[in-house]
Amino acid sequence: MFDTLAGKALVPVGLAVTGFMVVCCLVLYSVIRDDLHHNEIVHATNLADTILKSTRYAMHKSDRETLATIIKNVGEQKGVDHVRIFNKKGLVTFSAKSNELNRHVDKNAEGCIVCHKGAVPVTNLGTMQQARTFKNTEGMDVMAITAPIYNEPDCSAVACHPAGQKVLGTLDIGLSRAELNRSLSMLRIQMIVFTFMCLLLTISGVTALLRRNVFLPIQRLRRYVESTAQKNDIPEPPPHLPHDLDVIAISYYNAKSNSTGEKPGS
Amino acid sequence: MTDISEVRDSAEILRQELMKEISRLNRFSHRGVLALALFLVISMFAWWGFFFLPSPDTVTAVLGRPPSARIISIALLLYTFSAIILSLSRMTAGIEHRSSFSHVGYLTAFFLFYYFGKALEDNYWAVFGSGVTILGVESYRIWTYCAEGIAKNQEDIEYVTRTGRPPPQE
Repeated sequence: MFDTLAGKALVPVGLAVTGFMVVCCLVLYSVIRDDLHHNEIVHATNLADTILKSTRYAMHKSDRETLATIIKNVGEQKGVDHVRIFNKKGLVTFSAKSNELNRHVDKNAEGCIVCHKGAVPVTNLGTMQQARTFKNTEGMDVMAITAPIYNEPDCSAVACHPAGQKVLGTLDIGLSRAELNRSLSMLRIQMIVFTFMCLLLTISGVTALLRRNVFLPIQRLRRYVESTAQKNDIPEPPPHLPHDLDVIAISYYNAKSNSTGEKPGS
Repeated sequence: MTDISEVRDSAEILRQELMKEISRLNRFSHRGVLALALFLVISMFAWWGFFFLPSPDTVTAVLGRPPSARIISIALLLYTFSAIILSLSRMTAGIEHRSSFSHVGYLTAFFLFYYFGKALEDNYWAVFGSGVTILGVESYRIWTYCAEGIAKNQEDIEYVTRTGRPPPQE
């Protein structure tokens, strides 16, 4: 295969084109995945803010029933894995899943340790640092956001919370990543098909051009040389050969004519 | 009589030189494959997360923040494109160039940048694909260059043995 003209022409082209296409696709896939992940975090953060704003009035009025209903309804939304609010001691006070209520959250768990690794917990985190991904007990991929519930002037004004307390609790919301994973899986398949099609097109294009412009004229020249090798009367070289091959054919014709004593062109 | 022995000696010297050149080309033809093998070894260490290196946090504490994964990826694409074009140009011009091991160095640097940027897991296959492509094209270039050189030298040896004269220069 490597000794033939086709092999010599196709191997480096195929290798270089396929390799570069694969690298481009891998880098592009990585960039798109990062962007989607980033958008997903922004979406989850906005959702957490919406929930906090929706529950604010109920918190202010200390209306636990309305608060629990809001949390339960949000938790029933498609694509939401969990929604819970826990106080600063880590006790789950509201949750869409009733079995989580009155349970303590492990401060060393992923998502909590980011703020609680020091002696004094961190109270401000960037959007990206609030996010964590993990597999839930059902093996489903989940992206969760922990949004602190800050003590604002109207919270301490009604004498529910002391003014010195900065964080009152935390809202934890987890969103299923199944849809995102499905999109990424589709993207992967599309990129593999695209790379394969590009490779096929490149190899077919190069093969067709080589066959049309190189291999077939060489074959005609070879047949001409083989057919005239044992003959004394030499026919004219085959017409419409590419210039380089035409020069060879004419040189052969002239040499052969001279050796047999025939006048070239007669 | 002296002339005949002198011609015989010079033919013998020429034959030995051609044999030496063939063995040099034989050794050189493995260079691309050796570079590819070295790259595969480094890729294995990268796959295992460079367990023998200090953690990215330790290094970034000393050296500062690494460039973002996106910048490294753009550099990787530019490097891959240039390296392939360069290798194909050398193949076209028939230049003997010993560049394979330097590519292993560049690719290792990309692995390290991604590792210190904590983005190696996401971009491992991109560097791996780039390495296999560049070193594959380079190996093919070196191998074909050497194969052609060996074939030509063998023809020259046959000519020298047959005629006792140096082969005509092309």
